[in-house]
Amino acid sequence: MGRAHTLRDIAIGCLVVAVLAAIPWMLPGKAFQDFVIRCASMALFATSLNLLVGYTGLSSFGHGLFYGLGTYSFALLMQKTTVSLPLAFLLTLLISAATAVVVGAICIRLRLIYFAFVTLAMQMLAHSVIISWVGLTGGDQGLQGGIPRRVVAGIDLGNQYNLYVFSAAMLVIGLLLMRHIVATTFGTSLRMIRDNETRAAFLGISVWRVKLTVFVLAAVFASAGGMVMSLFVSGAYPELINWPISGDAIFAIVMGGVGSFLGPTVGTMILLLLNDVVTRQTEYYGLALGIIILLFALGLRRGVLDFVTERLGGRPAGGIH
Amino acid sequence: MRDRVGRRTVLVASAGLLATPWIARAQSNPIKIGIQSIFSGPIALLGTSSRGGIQPEIDRINAAGGLLGRQIQPVYRDSKGQPQEAARVARELVNTDGCEILLDAEASSGAFAVQEVVRDLGVLCVHSNSETSSLTADPKLRVATAFRSTRQGVHDAIVGGAHSAKVATEKKLSRWATCSPDYAFGRDTTAQFLEFLKHFKPDIEVVSQSWPKLGQPDFTEVITKILQARPQALYSALYAGDLSAFINQGNVYALFGAMQVFVPAMGDLPVLTAVKNLPPGIQSAARYLPTFPDTPANAAWYAQYRKANGNDYPTNWSWESATAMRFIEAAVTTAGATDGKKAAAALEGLTIDSPFSTTGKVTMRAEDHTLIDYAIGWGTTVPQPPFVTGIEPGDWGQIFELETEWKKKNGYI
Repeated sequence: MGRAHTLRDIAIGCLVVAVLAAIPWMLPGKAFQDFVIRCASMALFATSLNLLVGYTGLSSFGHGLFYGLGTYSFALLMQKTTVSLPLAFLLTLLISAATAVVVGAICIRLRLIYFAFVTLAMQMLAHSVIISWVGLTGGDQGLQGGIPRRVVAGIDLGNQYNLYVFSAAMLVIGLLLMRHIVATTFGTSLRMIRDNETRAAFLGISVWRVKLTVFVLAAVFASAGGMVMSLFVSGAYPELINWPISGDAIFAIVMGGVGSFLGPTVGTMILLLLNDVVTRQTEYYGLALGIIILLFALGLRRGVLDFVTERLGGRPAGGIH
Repeated sequence: MRDRVGRRTVLVASAGLLATPWIARAQSNPIKIGIQSIFSGPIALLGTSSRGGIQPEIDRINAAGGLLGRQIQPVYRDSKGQPQEAARVARELVNTDGCEILLDAEASSGAFAVQEVVRDLGVLCVHSNSETSSLTADPKLRVATAFRSTRQGVHDAIVGGAHSAKVATEKKLSRWATCSPDYAFGRDTTAQFLEFLKHFKPDIEVVSQSWPKLGQPDFTEVITKILQARPQALYSALYAGDLSAFINQGNVYALFGAMQVFVPAMGDLPVLTAVKNLPPGIQSAARYLPTFPDTPANAAWYAQYRKANGNDYPTNWSWESATAMRFIEAAVTTAGATDGKKAAAALEGLTIDSPFSTTGKVTMRAEDHTLIDYAIGWGTTVPQPPFVTGIEPGDWGQIFELETEWKKKNGYI
């Protein structure tokens, strides 16, 4: 990717944050802010999963492990130690990266369905540990007591608006970094591995190393999303590390478009909007969501953004058809 | 590189589009009360029977002219039992729907999430279903504008321990077994029960402990394990569907004739009526029974509940949620405002008339924002209505004394 494009992406990113920061001045209701905070968390998670699914062809069913690990490590560091918020943030990224190295080293040697199942098993293992280790994690009741010391450089993230701008900035920074990753030669290697692993190996790419690297990177971005969620719910709960959360990310990717960089972000918006609108109307949330997903899968046969891009005559960036 | 401006603008454009549903709504006249619970899935009874207790109270208040001259408009919302959804829904109820007060009818995990949101929002909130003691006992978790209108785990454990120790002494029961659901609630409740049982009767020996999974369909393994250990008494923290399945299957093995059984959650009508052949002689706490307290007020409330809810039975959650609504009513009336701080100040230490107390009054204790003086007692099951007889009320003096000791031991005071 050219320098000019990078600069343009950064400029657009800054503009988005500025627009989002300005919206509450015109729209005093706090619900939009809540939506953006949740969206930022989930979109970081879904986009990081798409680095694996869409760009590398690694269908991880257990990516929620790192999202949940982000919420728990961050909340525990804030509660049980005296480290500052930025340090807890960095430590959480490190913990997630270290965990991803171990988990990745085991999983990425496997292919296709075996990879999917082992990642899922890893997440179930992590969930069981969280549930059983009551003394540390509070077990199935979650980590209670809130998140203390939320003031960073004079800015209190306990304040709704500040958390909102922080989350929006996190999302934009995360997306810019991930976009940079897929636009580099490393990103090209990912797509090459996805399209033909054997050929990539013959061309001199260390497939194992590239896969492990992207697995760790994706884990780091997922845990950043987890930390935003941890700040939003003021704690950590086993549901955030349980396997259905990985399913939510996969839904987001499927609905938004696996082939477009912003697909998972759009998918997240749709998923959350559906959740919010449907739960307001009916107690049969699962039924409504199931029907809508079926419509996407059988009707559009691709995510919204992939569909729109193709209609406009373009080709999805990920190149998946 | 291809031109991708079209795709990039999506993010910017969508930000604008998404903003449209949230155009600020002018505050209308009614007092909106946000009521969240689990209305779907296997524990939907939590939400529906809570609503069954709340709605008649709201109808009564509205028919009498409302609260501070304003009608009450309830906004019911399903959290699906997920804590992060509970947190979101609580924020949404206040931030989007303009609710001035929250009546949180969530199960414990959701209630703890709502508690943190209330800490941020500063609105009046009454938790009407979470019985986990730490929610109000632990000063770290306490929130200035949040209260709890339910029975509490530690109160139940004290009364259960005292009653069971008395029965154990009379019948010379020293070999005990336990059988409780395998998660924090089941393990905590069992440990607490045994702690207080041993306090009153130190010569207890626990010979077998089983931890069936939540929603386990087949209890054969557990039942045979208990029978093999040959205990004289069995304690179980199972509840709702799991409990009725356990009783039905235990009947097949004549479990209930082989030992004295103590089940705190037995005394709730949905369980009592779901069991095919209710074995006589089970010791049970009265969670909600129309005969305890045996007063005209309670009988009238029971009749009115069934009439208002298509002849359904009220649950323990129904009286707890009805109590939450009555406290909200009293606090807002006393304070003359719905403002979180003012209403909370009025609610602290407030005593109201209640059908759910042997003294006819319940109090919201000021020091830890939790309910006291409610009906709490243990009795013995019989196969026909009223299902539980000979209910002995717990001694609140003893409860306070041991609760204080328990709080000290846990570093809460």
